[in-house]
Amino acid sequence: MAVVLAATLMPLAVAMIFFYVPTDVDQGYSQRIFYFHVPIALTTYTLFAWGALNAARFLWTRDMRLDLKSYVPMHLGVMFGCLTLVTGSLWAHISWGVWWYWGSTELTTFLIIFLFYCAYFMLRFSVEPGEKRATFSAVYALLGVGLIPISVIAVHTAQDIIHPITFSRNGANMDGSMFATFLVSLAALLSLAVAMYCIEMRGKRIDDRLKQLRRLAEASS
Amino acid sequence: MRAVRALVRKDLLLELRGREVVPAMVVFVLAAFVLFRFALGGDRLGGGVRAATGMLWVAVVFTAILGLARAFAVEREHRIWDGLLASPIDRSAIWAAKAVSTFAFLVVMQAVALPLFWLFFLQQADGPSFAVLIAALLAADVGIAALGALLAGLASAGQAREVLLPVLFLPFAVPLVLVGVQVSIGTIPPQTADFGTVRELGFLALYATIFALLGWALFEYVVED
Repeated sequence: MAVVLAATLMPLAVAMIFFYVPTDVDQGYSQRIFYFHVPIALTTYTLFAWGALNAARFLWTRDMRLDLKSYVPMHLGVMFGCLTLVTGSLWAHISWGVWWYWGSTELTTFLIIFLFYCAYFMLRFSVEPGEKRATFSAVYALLGVGLIPISVIAVHTAQDIIHPITFSRNGANMDGSMFATFLVSLAALLSLAVAMYCIEMRGKRIDDRLKQLRRLAEASS
Repeated sequence: MRAVRALVRKDLLLELRGREVVPAMVVFVLAAFVLFRFALGGDRLGGGVRAATGMLWVAVVFTAILGLARAFAVEREHRIWDGLLASPIDRSAIWAAKAVSTFAFLVVMQAVALPLFWLFFLQQADGPSFAVLIAALLAADVGIAALGALLAGLASAGQAREVLLPVLFLPFAVPLVLVGVQVSIGTIPPQTADFGTVRELGFLALYATIFALLGWALFEYVVED
């Protein structure tokens, strides 16, 4: 279902971005990267929230299936996070002429969160698989819930706001066709994330099943 | 509360008798200052007081990590864990005690480090206001100790615990250093403490509060079994 949705929405989003949406007056053709960059960043945050929510549910219920449901979004979040940094860097190069702009609050906040994601994996792969690993990963994931708002506040406290503001208090700062393209692109990337989630979950479950069968076969031989 | 006090007393007594952590932290921070002094140019201070203030915060964070790496070493090596877990105390008391003793170690280290910082970097120039710097460092110490006690517990169960702790800790140190440096350089003359200083100190207090709450709530999951 999600795979079909992603397969339909992704080409539609790409078509809208390149052929439908009008060119931005200030930034020109290259501003179109915005329709990839921002939805990818929002998808990364969503994946993280999803992973953290399942981490909290795991600590609450001790259901090992939730550990996997927490790990897979985090894993996908790293991929989407990499994409966010790459597209952000490209956009910075186009807009400001540098590959990385430390004055941008969004880019720097994202970098902190990306570091956190990487550390999550270091922790996860240094503990033996089992309930302990699941618990430790969940605890660290929940610490990230504290880190995200803290990083946002810290970066804003310490720096000027220069990044283009997408949404002001009065709603979206875009006209109709731009907003429609943005929404389709966001829907496409979210459904892509869900599709990848379903595929990775299935793969992991098959792996687990295979390991069990192998263990059984070894025990009986 | 009594359990926390007893555990803190144990940590401080062990440190007084064994002198394992604090002297190492002091020597480390001194060596870091020497390194940074040469890195910024031996004779003339490149980057000025602003750069030096940034170095102070980096040195403090790295020294804290060095101390935290030994936070649960005694418990692990002498199998005190089993006794602690068997005793009828709240798990979060273990965390609170470790956070308090870590805080004490950090304060002692900084009591030595700050005069050295003045001696190495600030003698010839106007430095940041020491009152603000001390307030910021104390607030940051609470945050580092609260978060560090939890992360040290997490790292101590991993296979490569010495490597793991810095990796786990540094993403959380970024906001702290960012605002810590900001509040410090905001008071270098001709600038003086103003509303921005209060807001930044408030942030450091918020940081400490959030991670104290998270540490208190999550530590029980770290020490089970």
